[in-house]
Amino acid sequence: MTAIEIHELTRRYGYRVALKNVSLTIPVGGVHALFGANGAGKTTLMRIVSTLLQPHHGYARVFGKDTVEEPLDVKRKIGLVGDKPLLYGDLTGRENLLFYSSLYDLDMSEDDNRIEDLSDWFGVKSWLDEPTKILSTGFRKRFDIVRSVLHDPQLYLLDEPFAGLDKDSTQVFRDFIDSHRTDRTVLLTTHNLTIGSEMSDNFVTLRKGEVLSQGPIGEFDGVI
Amino acid sequence: MGSGLSSAFAIAKKDIVTQMRKRFEVFSMFLFALIAVFALGIVLSSAVIQVAESATRIRVLAEIGSGMLWVVIFFAGMFGFAPVFISESETGTLRGLSLAPIPAWAIYIGKVIYGFVLMAIVELFLVPISMALLGYTFSSNISPLIVVGTFCLGTLDLAAVGAMASALTMPAESKATVYPLVYFPAATSGLILLVEITKIFAIGIPLVGPGLFQLLQLIMGHLVAMMTLSGAVFHFTLTS
Repeated sequence: MTAIEIHELTRRYGYRVALKNVSLTIPVGGVHALFGANGAGKTTLMRIVSTLLQPHHGYARVFGKDTVEEPLDVKRKIGLVGDKPLLYGDLTGRENLLFYSSLYDLDMSEDDNRIEDLSDWFGVKSWLDEPTKILSTGFRKRFDIVRSVLHDPQLYLLDEPFAGLDKDSTQVFRDFIDSHRTDRTVLLTTHNLTIGSEMSDNFVTLRKGEVLSQGPIGEFDGVI
Repeated sequence: MGSGLSSAFAIAKKDIVTQMRKRFEVFSMFLFALIAVFALGIVLSSAVIQVAESATRIRVLAEIGSGMLWVVIFFAGMFGFAPVFISESETGTLRGLSLAPIPAWAIYIGKVIYGFVLMAIVELFLVPISMALLGYTFSSNISPLIVVGTFCLGTLDLAAVGAMASALTMPAESKATVYPLVYFPAATSGLILLVEITKIFAIGIPLVGPGLFQLLQLIMGHLVAMMTLSGAVFHFTLTS
C-alpha cells in the first residue's frame, strides 16, 4: 500500500513549468522529506497532493484515491500545514477549531475534548478562548497545527512547517511528529536541511520541477 | 447534500459571528444607504412638490421611491458582498475551506446565506426609513407576506450574484475595478424586476404590463439560474 502515488505529473503556470513529468511513490508510514531550492516545485507538488491545484498532465493518488476524481476522499485523509496559519483572527482558538471540526462532520462534544487534549499537547490550552489575532506568530502556528490534525488524518502534509516557529515551538511540533511516525505518513518540505535530515526516514529532491534524487535519508548528500 | 448544507450554514454562522465582532461591512453598508436615502429624499421632495395634483404627486413619489430604494440596496450590497471571498483569499483562510471535505457549492451557498443575512439586517432599517423620507407606502391591497417574501427573494438574488462576482474577482490584480464589472451586468436584470415589483407594491396593480405574479416568477427564475450556474462552476475558482 502506498500513501502517495504520483505518475508523470506536469503543472505549468503560464509558460513556466513548475513540475515536469514527476513520478514518485511514498510508502505508508514514516517521515519523508521533500527537499529543493526555491522554485523547485515543492509547494506545487504539495498543493496538487492536497487537491488545492489540478495537474495539467498525469495524476496523484493518496491512499489509492485520485486527487482530481475523488477530492473529498483525499481531503478526509490529509492534514496540511502551510507557512501561513489558516485561522480567522476575529474568532478565538476554540471557535476556529470548532468551526473546522464542523466542516469535517466531527461530533462536537467529543471534539471539544480532542481540542482540549491537542491544545494541551501543543501548549496553547490557556489561549483557547482568546482571539487568534492577538496571539504571537508561533502560537497561531501551533493552533494551525491543531487544526490540521483535528480530524486525525492518515497523511500529514507539512509545507515549510517550521517557518516562523521559535525553538520551543519547533521542538513541540517535532515531538508530535515523532510520536506519530509509525502509525502515520508525513511528507515534509523544509529549507532547513539539518532539521529535515534529522527528522526524516527517506528523502526526495526536486530541482527545476524534476526529481533529482531519492532514497533513504542516510544516502542524502546535501545537494539540492 | 445534508452534510453540504450543514457546512454551508456553519460557514455562514462563522461569517456572521466575525461580522458582528468587527461590524465593518454592515456599518459601511448602513451608513452609505442612510446618506443616499437622505440625499435622495431631499432632492425628491423639493422636485415633486412642484407637481400640483396630490394623486399624481403620490404616484410619482411611489414610482421614483421604489426605484431609488433598490438602487440604494444594489450599491450598498457592493460593500457587503465584495469582501465575502476576496477577504478570505487575501488572508489565506479560503485554503482552509478548500481543504475541508465538503463540496465546493457548500462554500458558495454559505457565503450567499451570509450575504443575505448581512443585507437583510441593513434592509430591516433601510426600508422603513426610505419610505418615511421618500414619502411613499406600500398598497394595502398587497399581503405583507408577499412584500416580505419579495424582499427576501430579491436580497437572496443580489447575494447570489454578489458572492459569485466576489469569487470571480479573487484572482484579479485590480479587484476594485473588476468586481463592479462582474457584479453590475449580472445583477441588473434582477434589479429591474425588483424595481417593477416594488413599484406595484407602492402604486397598486398596474393596468398594463406584466402582473405581479409573472414578475415574481421571473425573479425566482433569475435566482434559480444564478445559484445553479454559480454552484456548478464555483469549484473552478478554488482550484484555478
